Amino acid sequence: MSEHEELPVLSTRDFSLWYGSHQAVIEVNLDIVERQITAIIGPSGCGKSTLIRAFNRLNDLIPGVRTSGEILFRGERIYGRGVDPVNVRRHIGMVFQKPNPFPKSVFENVAFGLRINGFRGDLAKRVESALEKAALWDEVKDDLHRKTGYDLSGGQQQRLCIARALAVDPEVLLMDEPCSALDPIATAKIEDLIRELASSVTVAIVTHNMQQAARVSDFTAFMLLGELVEFGPTREIFTRPKDSRTEAYITGRFG
Amino acid sequence: MRGRRALEWAFALLAGGALGVSLVVLIVLIAITALQAGPITSMRATAQAGISLSLRSMDVPGTRDSLAYASIAQVESGSPAAGLGMSRGDALIEVAGVAVDRPSRAWDAVGEAAGGQEVNLSVVWIPRSEITLGTLRAASTGGEPCVLLTSPSVAAQAAGLRAGDALVAAAGIPITGTRQAWEALVVAARTQGTPIELTLDREGERQVVLWDPSVQAELRFVRDPVRAWWTFLTSLNEPRYPERAGLLPAFVGSVYVVLVMAVVAFPLGIAGAVYLEEYAPTNVLTRIIEVLVANLAGTPSAVVGIIGLEVFARALGAGRSVLAGGLTLSILILPMLIVAAREALRSVPQTLRDAALAVGATRWETVRHHVLPYALPGILTGTILSFSRALGEAAPLLLLGAFLFVTYVPQGLRDSFTVVPLQIFEWATRPQDGFAAVAAAAIVILVALLLVLNAVAIVLRNRFQRRWSG
Repeated sequence: MSEHEELPVLSTRDFSLWYGSHQAVIEVNLDIVERQITAIIGPSGCGKSTLIRAFNRLNDLIPGVRTSGEILFRGERIYGRGVDPVNVRRHIGMVFQKPNPFPKSVFENVAFGLRINGFRGDLAKRVESALEKAALWDEVKDDLHRKTGYDLSGGQQQRLCIARALAVDPEVLLMDEPCSALDPIATAKIEDLIRELASSVTVAIVTHNMQQAARVSDFTAFMLLGELVEFGPTREIFTRPKDSRTEAYITGRFG
Repeated sequence: MRGRRALEWAFALLAGGALGVSLVVLIVLIAITALQAGPITSMRATAQAGISLSLRSMDVPGTRDSLAYASIAQVESGSPAAGLGMSRGDALIEVAGVAVDRPSRAWDAVGEAAGGQEVNLSVVWIPRSEITLGTLRAASTGGEPCVLLTSPSVAAQAAGLRAGDALVAAAGIPITGTRQAWEALVVAARTQGTPIELTLDREGERQVVLWDPSVQAELRFVRDPVRAWWTFLTSLNEPRYPERAGLLPAFVGSVYVVLVMAVVAFPLGIAGAVYLEEYAPTNVLTRIIEVLVANLAGTPSAVVGIIGLEVFARALGAGRSVLAGGLTLSILILPMLIVAAREALRSVPQTLRDAALAVGATRWETVRHHVLPYALPGILTGTILSFSRALGEAAPLLLLGAFLFVTYVPQGLRDSFTVVPLQIFEWATRPQDGFAAVAAAAIVILVALLLVLNAVAIVLRNRFQRRWSG
């Protein structure tokens, strides 16, 4: 278990977040370890999506959002003064609940992040490797420019979104219920993919599917009503939960 | 349940009925206007033949009546009419067998005459006084005023008139003056036909001479609707004769004003909408701006005209120029444009913005590469619709002091101008025969222009949609 003792890539310190007067995240302390998969589970409205969107400051755009406490990315405060959220997002990529490809060609979908980040080099090669990492290359290589993101199936679209996020070489990949809009077969493919990705990138995944968390993650965090109830290695959370609320949730008594 | 169902049906029926009725009304209105505009073909054909007509009338001596006739006011040199020897001052009596007592009778006759594009019409006219009669002089015999023929023309001599004859009456119409003598012949020829019984006083004796002073010939000219509309659209305006009225100055004026407006309002409107939708923080200032924009959208166009007059024409010294007109109209459409563009931007899914931001795009990159292209069809539709509103606006430009009638094409931003709606207004309020038809023709062109603009909006929208979806 020595690999688990590594420095956390992302860690939150007493992090709270308010939407106006409603506190959605309450003093969460959580460490996300490098090249591990951390799952955040909990019932609907427990603040898990809010928390994961706080990791790359996507909540900034919602009016009336306030935060306290800190989130550290490799020791740097991402909510600190003078930190450009755009810069944060260049290092921390995200995949969303519903596949949201751009209404452009498959190629342009992947190339967009590279273009705006001023990538110099072989764009086509980079796009190919990103699509390969997302296990999509073989399915789309013949019509990279002919098909748009919308022409693909739901599962392909989500893998395209993963490729898009991977293309800019992020250190962390945030996934907000990436399989909730997909059928079981597409879900299984994405789960395999997530396991493969963990060798090169740190993954934080929000899911309300406990089996999924158990299948893919190394660590699991259980949230309830904005609070982090329990956090630990996945096997321990699912076999020997310390908190009675965690036990109640994973045994299906609520949620 | 059943009650609600019935209510739904009633509402559907009511809404469908209202829609149907308004559609029918619209179609009927357009059809009537188009029919009214029909004479433009024959009017333009008459102008093509070289004749401009004006309405004259003669008071009948001893009665309170006056009799109308159509005088040839202008003959274009080198035209078919000039080739027949017609000239300014002649009176037109008949066209294709139809007696002409006012200009519109002639146009109607031209319009209804058989034949295709090339028509060959018989025309009857009476040349002007000097040619028909010769030189006349007012004199008196024994205290009674009379009209003496001092040197008869060739035509008069051929009819048996001699120098020194006093003209008494033409077909019962008393002759009282030198000019009236000829008019009496014209009116007699028109109302009672030729030959005319001309009563003379020759050396104290009454004599009656039967005389046909009219000239008859075949007038050959082109009567082509397409050509008529085209020349109407592309010729300069002639203030006096409806058959020579042209829409070009007003049309070009409209195009220039709308271009200026587009250049000013389109970027401003989109920038404003992008700011309000994508950047503006939710605070009091933003709320105030939003309320102001909404209020501006409801401002009566006459008020906008006064703003234009005070701010652009006077304070900024633009005068009643194309520039001032374009700026005034841009005030009118800016709020409509902002509202439409905001609506389009609001329909862009948030997930698209998230997707772009999550790969490290700045707000501007997100807007430029994804949000604007996605919203563009909606923005363009709103833009073109507001442009067509501006194109049909007359009130603000009227208050700005734009001219109603312009006979030249504006060349630059500082030139004075008129626009199609103002020109329509000017024509429609004229009392003379024929201008109503000209106004109707201009309305048809305006409606056609608006339809073209809306078609462009639809085509643009479809093109962009296709680009995004396939």
